[in-house]
Amino acid sequence: MALDKFFNPESVAVIGATEDPKNITSMIMKNLIEMGFEGRLVPVNPHHDEVFGHKCYPSLLEIKEKIDLTVISIPARFVPEVLRQQATCGIKNAIVVSGGFAESGYKGAILEEEVMKICKEEGIRLMGPNCIGVLDNYSNFSSSFLPWTKVKRPAKGNLSILSQSGSFAICVLDMLSEEGMGVSKVINYGNRADVGESEMIEYLTDDDSTHVIGIYMESVDDGRRFIDASSSCSKSKPIVALKVGRRDSGIEAVKSHTGTIAGKYEIYKAAFKKSGIVEVNGFTEFLDACKVLSMQKPAKGEKILVLTNGGGFGVATSDMCSDTGLDVANTPESVRKVLSEKFPGYFILSNPIDLTGSSGDEDYGIAMKAALVDNDFFDAAIIIPLMPPETMTEGVVEIISQMARESGKPVVICVASGVYTGGVKTKFEEKGLPVFPTPERCVKAMSVLVERGRMNGC
Amino acid sequence: MAVKNTKFKDAGEIIENALASGRKILLPDEAMDIIKSSGISTPAYALAKTANEAVTAAKSMGFPVVLKIVSPDVLHKSDVGGVVVGVENDKEIERNYNEIMNNLTKKVQDADIMGMLVEKQVPTTTEVIVGGIRDEQFGPTVMFGLGGIFVELFKDVVFRIAPVTETEALEMIGEIKGYSVLNGYRGTEKLDIQKLSKTVVTVSELISDIDEIKEVELNPLLVYTEGVTAVDARIIIN
Repeated sequence: MALDKFFNPESVAVIGATEDPKNITSMIMKNLIEMGFEGRLVPVNPHHDEVFGHKCYPSLLEIKEKIDLTVISIPARFVPEVLRQQATCGIKNAIVVSGGFAESGYKGAILEEEVMKICKEEGIRLMGPNCIGVLDNYSNFSSSFLPWTKVKRPAKGNLSILSQSGSFAICVLDMLSEEGMGVSKVINYGNRADVGESEMIEYLTDDDSTHVIGIYMESVDDGRRFIDASSSCSKSKPIVALKVGRRDSGIEAVKSHTGTIAGKYEIYKAAFKKSGIVEVNGFTEFLDACKVLSMQKPAKGEKILVLTNGGGFGVATSDMCSDTGLDVANTPESVRKVLSEKFPGYFILSNPIDLTGSSGDEDYGIAMKAALVDNDFFDAAIIIPLMPPETMTEGVVEIISQMARESGKPVVICVASGVYTGGVKTKFEEKGLPVFPTPERCVKAMSVLVERGRMNGC
Repeated sequence: MAVKNTKFKDAGEIIENALASGRKILLPDEAMDIIKSSGISTPAYALAKTANEAVTAAKSMGFPVVLKIVSPDVLHKSDVGGVVVGVENDKEIERNYNEIMNNLTKKVQDADIMGMLVEKQVPTTTEVIVGGIRDEQFGPTVMFGLGGIFVELFKDVVFRIAPVTETEALEMIGEIKGYSVLNGYRGTEKLDIQKLSKTVVTVSELISDIDEIKEVELNPLLVYTEGVTAVDARIIIN
């Protein structure tokens, strides 16, 4: 694949490499070494013979072996010369981390034009400038200059993130790690002078390790190409988009941020719709949507079972479902009949099913088997096991996840936060069931599964 | 001009002529001709170059009529006193015809005036807007919204990337907050949503088909229990 060398380079030249901790290039080198990047790492800097134990070359022209990719983080004015040198050496890919281009004003814009002229003439593909670049969690390659001691690197997973903003790209990594979510790739293309989200979506469509794509978008690189790429990608892989710079006041900020002008938000919405993209509002919804789509399959319909041992949570969840267009349809008579034979009279069998404070682990199994496994009325379930009663134990995790598996239907879990409950959350997520701390986040996540189900007609 | 769909052949020719004469905004009669030839219904209308011609036209279509100025120097007809509604007879036509002319020459010196569009006045009903703009990034788009304060105050409009299918158009119509105004509420009659959706499809096809159209807007489009009628259209080209 054309852009694969940005993720799986066999050899990388780090331009301006140094051990000086004040220079971000030292961090790029350190990260690559600590991450266990297995490709060849070639520092380039006329002032050093060796950088972190790797032989350092005075210039690209001195390197005899084939280089797949350069990572450039030297002052902007020197970047054109490096690109000319790499053209001479036949190096076809560059990540330009350096700032000082179009985002910084007129002079920078001229410099960016010069850079792009060289790239076009020489057939060099460029990511950036003014970017973090990439993290590939499978090849252990990254051009990030932020230390992994301060930004926790997530585990391997099936989610890939495209972000126009570098700070979002980095913070989302930290947040995903905190949520225990796995990541395949994170890509930040900054000024997006060449490689942008449309081409990245095309690339990720065929990337086996990516199953879900999340996009943080300020503006689009090429509207029609984006629609074509996303429409085709979203047939098999869900795409979640967070569009910022929506209102007039926001547009100024975007303009000064990455040197581009945001389009009209209503038209973006139309484009997302056309492309089969799930649009979300804000960071929390973005993370939750990415999480639920990477852990659960889409819902076939909108009939949702709400099952809990806490009446209040059930009612609140039911209200929010109705507000979101989800159908908390009444429990079918046949299911009620089965349950009424097994449960005491004070359990509430209409939807939400309320097992009350005197229920235990096994009651969840009985209810889920009757309402979800043995009956096809409900399309999905929101389960809210509240842990405080003495009869509720961590054993409920195995019971619920077993029934969820047997039902073949999407299930999301709501457990309120707390020291004890926090541990239960981890256990659920180890079993592949996404957990959210509030009914509203649970319901929103479920609505994403329903929307996705509607889109790809599953 | 290369139109992809034969139903826009006339539209293509009108636009070609306008571009040849260096105009970016179609005249009211040209815009109406495009709408009508694309298969969207309009009231009877005719271009009159004199007050006498206006009388003849009005008599053949029946009173009351609406008079609208036709001039390449006028962008917003109402702003220059260029529109008079409810014109009931010959005398009123003559009086209003001359008044509109005077209004314009007072406001715009040396205005180039082609004449007056005489349009049969149709019964009032719910007004909607169907439009399309060619977005720099995403290309042709189509917009739908309720007219009047709904669009001005509540911005109750919905966009799609053009062209749209009839299913998409129906979805658009269903998405606006004021949908029940069209679908019948408190005993009001359900309006012709089917015809409305077909009109949205046609506008979306028109802007997708003819690259020279920058903006198109039917405002208002009147929606009845049976049928819809475009009483005013604006088309910007380049």
